[in-house]
Parts: sequence; C-alpha cells; structure tokens
Amino acid sequence: MSVFTLPQSSKEKALLAELSDLVDLHRSRCEPYRRILAASGFRSASDISELPWLPVRLFKTLELKSIPDDEVFKVLTSSGTTGEVSRIYLDKAAAATQTRQLGATLQTVLGPKRLPMLIVDTKSILKDRRSFSARGAGVLGMATFGRDHVWALDNDGAVDLDGIRGFLAKHGDQPFLIFGFTYLVWLHLYEIAREHGLDLGNGILIHSGGWKKLVDQAVSPEEFRNRLAAVGLTRIHNFYGMVEQIGTIFLEGPSGGSLYCPDFADVVVRDPETWAELPPGEPGLLEVVSTLPTSYPGHVLLTEDLGVVHGIDDGDWPGKRFSVLGRLPRAEARGCSDTYRSADS
Amino acid sequence: MRFRFGAEGDLTAPSADRLAVGDPRVVDFLAALARRLLAPAVARRFPELGSLGYFLRPAELKRSVEAMTARQEALVFPRGNVFHVPPANVDTIFVYSWAISALAGNHNVVRISSRSAGAAEVILEALNAVDADPVIARTQRMVTYGYDDTITAALSKWCDLRVIWGGDRAVDTIRKHPLKPSARDLTFPDRTSWAVLSAPGWRAADPDARRAAVVGFANDAYWFDQAACSSPRTIFLVGGGDTTGIRAEFVELLLDVVDRRGWTVDPAMAVEKRVNAYELAATGAATALDFPDNRLTAVTLAGAERAPRRWIGAGAFPFAEVGSLTDLVPAMNRQDQTVSYFGFTPAELRAFATELGGRGVDRIVPFGSALTFGAIWDGYDLKREFTRLTTLQ
Repeated sequence: MSVFTLPQSSKEKALLAELSDLVDLHRSRCEPYRRILAASGFRSASDISELPWLPVRLFKTLELKSIPDDEVFKVLTSSGTTGEVSRIYLDKAAAATQTRQLGATLQTVLGPKRLPMLIVDTKSILKDRRSFSARGAGVLGMATFGRDHVWALDNDGAVDLDGIRGFLAKHGDQPFLIFGFTYLVWLHLYEIAREHGLDLGNGILIHSGGWKKLVDQAVSPEEFRNRLAAVGLTRIHNFYGMVEQIGTIFLEGPSGGSLYCPDFADVVVRDPETWAELPPGEPGLLEVVSTLPTSYPGHVLLTEDLGVVHGIDDGDWPGKRFSVLGRLPRAEARGCSDTYRSADS
Repeated sequence: MRFRFGAEGDLTAPSADRLAVGDPRVVDFLAALARRLLAPAVARRFPELGSLGYFLRPAELKRSVEAMTARQEALVFPRGNVFHVPPANVDTIFVYSWAISALAGNHNVVRISSRSAGAAEVILEALNAVDADPVIARTQRMVTYGYDDTITAALSKWCDLRVIWGGDRAVDTIRKHPLKPSARDLTFPDRTSWAVLSAPGWRAADPDARRAAVVGFANDAYWFDQAACSSPRTIFLVGGGDTTGIRAEFVELLLDVVDRRGWTVDPAMAVEKRVNAYELAATGAATALDFPDNRLTAVTLAGAERAPRRWIGAGAFPFAEVGSLTDLVPAMNRQDQTVSYFGFTPAELRAFATELGGRGVDRIVPFGSALTFGAIWDGYDLKREFTRLTTLQ
C-alpha cells in the first residue's frame, strides 16, 4: 500500500482540515504554542500556506509538548551545530504512528517484506554518546526495516571489505537494502564497489544527510546517481526529514531528482522577504507540514533549509515534487560581545 | 603570529623607550592618523571611521592630555604596559581604547581578531601609512594570533593593565591567565542598552523634530545590527496616556528612514528575529508580535520588567509602557549601559540618574548619540585608568 497516492488538490483539502484540527488541539494543550498564536493574531486558515508555522529552532530553546508529563513515552533529541538540542516529546500513540508511517513510506520502494540490510556506517556510532543522537538514531530507526544487518565500516570507520563481500555472497542474489548517510555512501561504498567490482545490482539504496559535504567535492545529486548506476546500483532513494517531524520523510522517486511528499505531509516554499508561498520553480525557505505530530506542535514547521518545488502532479508520484538546495546561513551580527549569537547566550 | 602594526619581535622584551603622558610623538602620530581617517573617500565608505577621526583630531587630543595632567596633588605618568583584547566584531573599538592609552604614554600590545574585516583593515592600512617617529613602532604593536594561550599568558604577565572587551565569555576566558600582582584588569562585559521616549515630549514635538529623533534612533539601532553594547533594544514609552498612536507613528517613521537608507535584513536575520520574538511570546514576556516588514519587528511586552537583555536580532524592537522614568528604575541593573532618550526635560533625566544611583546605566544620551564613543565608558574614565599617579609632598 503506497502512501504516495493523493493528487495535490485532494491532498490539500484533507490536510487543511486535519492540520487545522491539530492547530486547535495543540492550542488547547500546549500553553507556549497558544501564547505564540495569540500574540501573532492567528485566527483561521483557508489554505495550507496560511497555517501558522513555527521556526524549527524553537524546539531547541523551548519545551513544546501537548501531552502531560506522565504520558511522555519517548523524548527524541537532535544535536545541532552549536550544541543546542531539539527535544521532541512523544506519547505512546505518537511513537507508534511515526514508526508505522515511516514504515509505510519506505515500503513504497522496499516492498512489504524486511530485506537483508547493509548499513554504510560503523557500529561504534552507537557507543559514542555524542554522535549517537543524530547519526545513531537515524541508523537505529532505519534498522527496524531491515534484517540480517551487516555494518560496512569497521569500528575505526574503515571499509570492512570482507564483511561486505560476506553480505553480498549471502544476500546479493535477491533484493537487499543499503542504508547510509549520503557522504559515507559516496566516500566508502561507491569507491570500494568500483575498485573491487562488487555487484550491488539487487540493492535498493536509501540515503540521507545533506549534500554539503559532497557539494564541497563537487558531486551533484545527478552525478551521485549516475556514478552509482555505473556500479550497478540503480534503485536509489534520497530522503529528507528531521527529528522535529519524526516519522515523516520526503522520499526521492524512482526516476530521481525530486523528493515527494507522502499523503500525510506536504511542503510550502516561502519567499523569505514577503513570507508568501512561492510558485514552482522559485527557490525559497522550506516549510514542512505533517499530520503526524500529535504530541507536540510540530505539524507546521519553517525549516532553515532552502528548497524549490519543481512541479505538481507531474512526476513519479502525485503531489508536489521538490529539492532541498542547502542551508540558510546562521544570522550573525556585529556586536561588542563576541558571544551575542545564539538564542541562549 | 602576524604583526599588523609596529616593529616585529619579542612583545614582552624589556624596552628602553620612554613615552610621556601626551608625548608629542604620539600626538603627531594620532593627528596624522585622524587626517587619513577623515579623508572623504574613507569616511564615505565607513562612516564610523569619520567619528573615530573626529575623536582623534588635534584639538580633541589636546583636551584629553589636559584632562589627564590636570592634577595639583600628584604627578601623572603612563600606567606602563597595556595589553588590549578588543572584540572581534566592532571594528573601531580597539582604536579608541588603544589611542587613549597611547596618548597616556603607555607601551601597548593590541590583539586584533583574525575575524576582523572591513573598517579594521582600513584602519590598519592607515596606521601603517603614517610616517611616524620610530619610537611609535617600537612601543605600539598590533598583532593577530589564534587561540594561543601561551601568547595570551605571556602578555598577561607582561602588562600592568589588561583591557578586555568582547563580553562576559571573553572576560572569563582571558581572566584565566594570571596577571602580575601589581597589575589589574579593565573589563567590558556584556551590556544592554535601552531607549526611552517621552509621550508628552513626543506630542509636543513638531513633525520635523519627531523625524529627526527617529533618524537618530535608526542610526543607533541599525548601525551595528542592534548588537553593539550601546545599541538600543527595548523602547520604553514613558508618561502615561494612550501611546498606541505614538508607537504607530514611531514605527512608521522608522520604516521610512530604513527605507530611505536602503538598509536590508537578510533571510537568516529575519528567521532569527522570528525565533526570538516567538520565544518571547511563548514565555509570556510578549503579548503581541507585529512583523510589518523583515527589517522591523515590533514586540509588545507584558511589562517593563520583561524586557529581554539578550540580543534578539537586527531591527527587533520590544515596546513597554511606564508611567515615569522613575518607574523604570527597578527594572534597571548593573548590566544596563546606555539609555538613549527623546523628549525629556533635563530635570527629569537628572532625577532618573540620581534615582538609579549608579546601580545601573552608565550613559544617558539623546537619540543619535548612543554609539558615540567617549573617553568615559562603562563608568570608567579611561584617561584615569591609563595613567598612574606619584605624590610628592
């Protein structure tokens, strides 16, 4: 069962109603959220782009939750670049929903059965408490959708060629899942597969984690796909998601080049000058909406990523298709104090 | 280590050079520097260098020297060796601090941040272009080095006075390095500054006076992205009555001035301001948020005591109402530096200062003067700090 089914108009109709209900729900259960809406004068929305968005960074500085303390089942954290950490509160229901919907999204490209899984990372990230929150949680979250896991990198982060060969010998003749952060896949798996003629033809690659490190090496998303195709890996799906909207991922379609929104989510690209929604083709700030956040007000978030919608109802799957173009630089001011920068200084 | 000005060599080596308070060789050098900074081509590009040049012109230097030496009961001498650690981001502060110290006859080492740019580079070029007496290069040195603790430690042991700008964290970091027992620190920690606007004063002012006030305020606020220690942040509307109309007119005029100047705010800053404004609302400090334009965010505070003391972005203005300046006194503390004002009588301002009693607020200045550096800063008379006294009976 795919979660990429709704054409944009029916999706917007369904989402607007559900998201408006979520606005009301969070307003009644999350006092800081109620205050923000009251202070900014929000009344109602007749379009998704009119829904009140929260800057995603607020989850790093405020405790935003719409459930009582004794119903908190899980607290997710993400490490930021400056040591600030987002805290996302889930109750049992929200935790179950996010896992289920993430699974449904991935099954669109992986099929209904768990596949043998090659993880392009090192097991040691699960031990390092500091990097655990970001990379480790990503890997662990994904690991539940695979079986017979093998780590492609050893504890020192070097390629474990024997391990990979062993995995391929055992599972290489049928579909298998490869997961890793984009730059690790590029740096380690691609190079090794090319050098040693590894057969990745039955692999389905799911990768994420931003292009910055690859852009620094002048590797574009297209080149990434083309080069991997040259070593036989043709089923490749990048995805975009964040802990502040856990369970929701925007997944690259089979023909590549665009991310698609599952039925329960959407994106709005905003002009950072007027804050109005921009039409396809014009890059701006990316807003992500999702009906999954029921235990915290993360249903309409303004990210600090730049993006562009390429088209609507004209790609592999219905709805908007878009790309993430990079990160908005952090604001810096001239000032007497060298430490005037972050929200908590 | 990169020598940006002065003779290369061991910074802490003993020196046989002697400068006097108001040494003519230093005065000549500073005057020549002022001429370069006041050159139209420079002043157009960096208006703040114009103010700096003005501060260093000969008449002003003469006044400063007279103020330093005007003592009957003691002889005035240089303090000795001074180590300056200026902030990375405000390009001109290091020159003010250093120039007064040089004028006092001290041997100076100034650590210039590797992040310095723009105006700082122009100043360094100007310093190096002046044809100076060789003693200047031997006694006045400006260097750039990374976070090298050994250099900072050596200079800390060398100096008789260490001048630390750059806020609380810089002060705490540098203070880990001990001074020699006879030396001490002059510190410039994190500060907050405010604006006060008299409602009766505004009503009594004619349109030209109102506009002039807003032009001055706009310079104060936007020049350093509202992040300099003396940049006004919260605006207190003082004096009762319904101030809604006053605030609306003020904001409208401010936007108009910003428009005319062509000042812009980039998307990152716009997001920064949203984050901070939403945070103020979420915590109950703000009851209403207005985003008329990326360049200006207006925040209605729940009360004067809720005014934020941290930077909340360039062009972000919380507003609060108070009955009188005296009512504002309990909300002020030691961190507060400059209060810039419009529309008050001298008697009202004096009463405000008296009521504060030095427990907070070091400067009370009219709109448009918030950023004007003075030799009395943060409650210190720098001319005194940079000299020492010998009594002779």
